[in-house]
Amino acid sequence: MYAYQLESNPYPSSPTPTEKDARILGGKRHKEAKSAILECIKELNNKVGGRDSNDGDFRVITLVQDVGSGKTHLALHIKNLQSRHNTVCTFLDLSTISPKTMPSLYNGIIKGFENDFFVQLRTKLVEYIRDRAERGDNSAKKVLDYSFMNKLSGMTIRQKADDILSGKALVSAENLKQFLVQWFNYHESNLIRNIITNSFDAVTNLEELLGMMAAISKLTHRFLNKIILYEIDEFDGNQDSIEFVKGIINAHLPASILLLISTPSGYAEIQGKNPSVFDRLEKANYKIDLAGSNSQDELLEIVLEYIKHNDKKGKFTQKTQDELDEKIRVLYDEFPEFRSVRSIINILYHAMEKSAELDLEKIDETAIDETIRHTYPGLKIRGSIMSVPISDFISIRRTCGDESTGEQLKRAIANLANFAHEMGNIGKLEKQNHTLDVVYQDPYGSKIGIAVVVNENHTKNFEEISNISKSSALVDKLVILTNSNIPSSESITIVNVDKSKMVDLLYFNNKYTDHKIAASDNEKAQMLAKTVNII
Amino acid sequence: MIEEVLERISSASINGIKKAELKKTFGKNCDNILQNLIEKEQIFVEKKGVAYFVWTRDNYILHLSQNDPKFKSVLNMVMGVSHSVAKVKQHTNSLDEAVTMISKQNLANPEGDFKVEFDRGLTESSTSIGWAPFSEIRKKICESKKISTENFYTMATNLVERQREKYEVSSGGQEGIIMRGLVHGYVRNV
Repeated sequence: MYAYQLESNPYPSSPTPTEKDARILGGKRHKEAKSAILECIKELNNKVGGRDSNDGDFRVITLVQDVGSGKTHLALHIKNLQSRHNTVCTFLDLSTISPKTMPSLYNGIIKGFENDFFVQLRTKLVEYIRDRAERGDNSAKKVLDYSFMNKLSGMTIRQKADDILSGKALVSAENLKQFLVQWFNYHESNLIRNIITNSFDAVTNLEELLGMMAAISKLTHRFLNKIILYEIDEFDGNQDSIEFVKGIINAHLPASILLLISTPSGYAEIQGKNPSVFDRLEKANYKIDLAGSNSQDELLEIVLEYIKHNDKKGKFTQKTQDELDEKIRVLYDEFPEFRSVRSIINILYHAMEKSAELDLEKIDETAIDETIRHTYPGLKIRGSIMSVPISDFISIRRTCGDESTGEQLKRAIANLANFAHEMGNIGKLEKQNHTLDVVYQDPYGSKIGIAVVVNENHTKNFEEISNISKSSALVDKLVILTNSNIPSSESITIVNVDKSKMVDLLYFNNKYTDHKIAASDNEKAQMLAKTVNII
Repeated sequence: MIEEVLERISSASINGIKKAELKKTFGKNCDNILQNLIEKEQIFVEKKGVAYFVWTRDNYILHLSQNDPKFKSVLNMVMGVSHSVAKVKQHTNSLDEAVTMISKQNLANPEGDFKVEFDRGLTESSTSIGWAPFSEIRKKICESKKISTENFYTMATNLVERQREKYEVSSGGQEGIIMRGLVHGYVRNV
């Protein structure tokens, strides 16, 4: 059993999404992008509904965003929805095609359709021929190989057509060719022949490729009353890709939408390589904006959506959501590595597996820690002197900024001074006074005073520091630890305590009070004491 | 006459001058003048042995600080307090200076200036989808602000990192800010 009593791991594990993974779509911005694409589909469907399509019924959508931001996921999600939106979709990943020759690109487009699509189209085409045959078209009858003997034996044209559809009989290839040239153009004829005979010819040049694509679009609209969405992923500055896309745009495929997926760098490459194509992209009918797709809130929504979608038992309560939310926020803030949809989902996939292995009720700090150690073995907390484990870091970091942080830091500094004294680095500690948190003698007999001034309100910090500075006469050296950005003066040494130093101090304090400072920690703790001017 | 008397007393430095000697020099009127100066605390008279000696105020304090142990210790204490007060004043002044400096920094705000320039460069260089190459913004800002490429990228990294919700970067390109070990050569406003 996985965390939150899930029966399976809700997160995908593949580095790039599969169609199955893409069934779930989370995140406000991704959902808005989805709506924009569906809006385009709806608009074109309305326009071409009830009439023949023409070359004015073509739309271009661009989707440009950084790697790992969920573009492919979105495209595959839309593909999954095709039946619900009167659309047929093919997905072509240009990075999987090399060399990008015309036959390989055409092959990629054909393979990108669902198998069911060609079955449906074949059925409609055979039914079309059947209808013509039933209306007395002899050439149609010849296509079905419907002979006088068939008629004599009592077989109807419909039964013959059904036999062809079920694979019990074959069409007459030669007669089909002759029949089609009467009613369809060259490419349409070829395509219908390919579909009915279940054998696709290779294309040899761009003109042929575009002709076949136009035929697919036209026939799909005519016989299935659907529009085609061509999704082309990984579009970049590759010359063959550019020529291919330019051809498609110029061909104005009827009743079709071309969704081009690229990255900003790919887009810039196109700009540099072919201004003409770039200009066409700039004038795309729809530009899908995934701005903020890697923002903290968006990632959180996406991540939680996976669990919510699979939470059949209702164990993923608001409280548990909030707890996971906090942990992910810390990961996002502290590690640039986890600021993309792909990377955070990867972490959660592994954390979920770990939760099953350790029989955890929820994804906790330990699961995340173990995951990161295994999947990102080189990852360390930036600037951490105490080598704080990620699990401790997450739990301490979550509470940093609480009202009690200042008091905790005061205790940490007092304990760090105690530690330094125990290690023989500093002399006798004196009794604290009401303004200074630690007073001690350094090895040369100078009296050192340390005060911790950490508040969220920086004006309050300035006031406190101003008050504490009046105590400087009591000591030879005054050190003030603060989270405000104040320069040191001649008489006061200011030590800036950023969040990573806070975590180090609080982590040290936890270990010190629990008597868990190991020999291997001594050097680190002394280093920490140096950074806060205790030593 | 008064000035002459004061000058004579002052010239005797910390040893002081005998009252009798002053009388000899300045005559009987000297008594009135001395009384007047005593009232104004400009001079001090003290009996040493059988003779009365006269000092100016400053010389008298110096005389006491060198010859009177009680006065010496009291003076040291007073000086200590005075020194501490001066120190506190000094600290307060330096804190005030620091606060003023920070306020001035905030007013001058070079980072704010950079942001304005950066945003302008971003708007001018971006395509219809909003992305702009860092290299183009860098060229504009380095030229107008006369800053080095390194300086530009340091400030750009800080800006983007600090305002993560306002800017978005994308990998690729020949130059840019480094994140996750990758060159991120494109930026846009969110």
